[in-house]
Amino acid sequence: MIDVTGLDFFYGQQQALHGVDLPVARGQITALIGPSGCGKSTLLRSLNRIYMLYHAQRAQGRILFEGENILAPATDLAALRARIGMVFQRPTPFPMSIHDNIAFGVQLQRRVSRREMDEIVENALIRAALWDEVKDKLHSSGLALSGGQQQRLCVARGIAVQPEVLLLDEPASALDPLSTAKLETALVDLKHSFTIVIVTHNLQQAARISDYTGFMLGGRMVEFGHSTDVFVKPETQALRDYVTGRYG
Amino acid sequence: MKTATRDRLFEAACCAAAMVLLAAMAGLLAALVWGGWPALHRAGLTFLTSDVWDPAHDIYGAAGPIFGTLATAVLAMLLALPLALGVAVFLTELCPPPVGRAIGIAVELLAAIPSIVYGMWGLFVLAPWFAAHVQMPILVAAQPGSLLDRLFASIPNGANICTASLILAVMVLPYMASIFAELLRSVPIHMREAAYGMGATSLEVLRFILLPFIKRSAVGAVMLGLGRALGETMAVTFIIGNAHGFPKSLFDSGSTIASTIANEFAEATGDLHASALMALGLVLFIITFTALTGARLLIGREIH
Repeated sequence: MIDVTGLDFFYGQQQALHGVDLPVARGQITALIGPSGCGKSTLLRSLNRIYMLYHAQRAQGRILFEGENILAPATDLAALRARIGMVFQRPTPFPMSIHDNIAFGVQLQRRVSRREMDEIVENALIRAALWDEVKDKLHSSGLALSGGQQQRLCVARGIAVQPEVLLLDEPASALDPLSTAKLETALVDLKHSFTIVIVTHNLQQAARISDYTGFMLGGRMVEFGHSTDVFVKPETQALRDYVTGRYG
Repeated sequence: MKTATRDRLFEAACCAAAMVLLAAMAGLLAALVWGGWPALHRAGLTFLTSDVWDPAHDIYGAAGPIFGTLATAVLAMLLALPLALGVAVFLTELCPPPVGRAIGIAVELLAAIPSIVYGMWGLFVLAPWFAAHVQMPILVAAQPGSLLDRLFASIPNGANICTASLILAVMVLPYMASIFAELLRSVPIHMREAAYGMGATSLEVLRFILLPFIKRSAVGAVMLGLGRALGETMAVTFIIGNAHGFPKSLFDSGSTIASTIANEFAEATGDLHASALMALGLVLFIITFTALTGARLLIGREIH
């Protein structure tokens, strides 16, 4: 569905990715793992070109999404990001009500009647495993939720616009174990409708939920394959060291 | 000295500083009321409602200057607000950082120009240009009695409510623009990423995310600008035309409270004239105080 080939990425003069390849399969969860600073978040942030918010950052190479190179200058970024949604490391609810947080993205795409919007909101919250906790306070501020609830709200917000791909950048790193479990359950359910790429620090998490795993080190893709293979019989010494906990 | 004693001294000093401020404020208000009382007592409500300001006969009605003050300040804010917002958004959101820094410095330079320089520029450059290129064509084009005529009828000398508002707008613009820019910068970057990540365009991010985020403080910035526009004296005195009556059109000469005081204090030989000017000062004090308090209340209401 997405095919990254020979991706180089630069923060100013400093090169952060060196010729990275990554195939992303439709309807599957692809996990990116590796130690801090290995470039996994950078790779993820290239997929919806969110790095374009920063003037000194640029990417070279090819990222094919449904056959089109999204790195081409003519790409309509707003349209691209509507098709490839993103959930960030820190929960980022907008300063508005729970209902409006979800309605926001939908309204950017199209006009929706009040009743249809209520359905979309309910549906998104159910799929993000948040509905039961917030159904009685949809019109209170999204900022008043707990961290774990905020992050699931961000997932709900992300899926409400029905993107084809959902990018998650360490979505559980700020969450307690119970919230993490709820989030993971939601993600596994979601993969039937969305293609998911998730960056994670947590190897168990990657092993639990992902179908494919890419292991990165020093800005390079060191190993990529079915998660079962990657975790059970790693090919490289580096991944063996990482899996057994010899990197931070 | 024991630390506890020293700390108590420090706290007392801070408290004293705050009290001095309050006392100065109260003293000023008392002096204005005291000084303005004779004129207010004599004129009664007509001080606010009449536009006859005739020092020769000791008749003082301040409706003209009061209206001029409000009109120029509000017009200036209407002109400056969209500009300031545009500047701030361009600086913080759109242009590459080096260009942003250059424009930022230019905006700050604009704020550093003394108001009397703005006044001179207004009188010698803006007013003649405005008279020749804006007022004259409109006068020529307007049918007598038409709406255009009533809105803009005037003597084409360029010194009027409209040019005064323009100058005021330029003067409050840098303050508002730099405060807006500061506010926009204070919006966490992850908020922006999240909004852009949803597929929002720059305009949508501004309208739905950034503006709601800074709304509260932005009202404060606008009120600060309004406070400055209400009280600005020198530049306005130069260019408003200093006519005491109620301005009849946008392009008519007028006066503000501050410009009237500046113009007449030296010549206010009669007790009642001086008192009337003090009373004007009191009115300005109350208007500004009301604007700032209004802002506080607005801000307070938004905190849920």
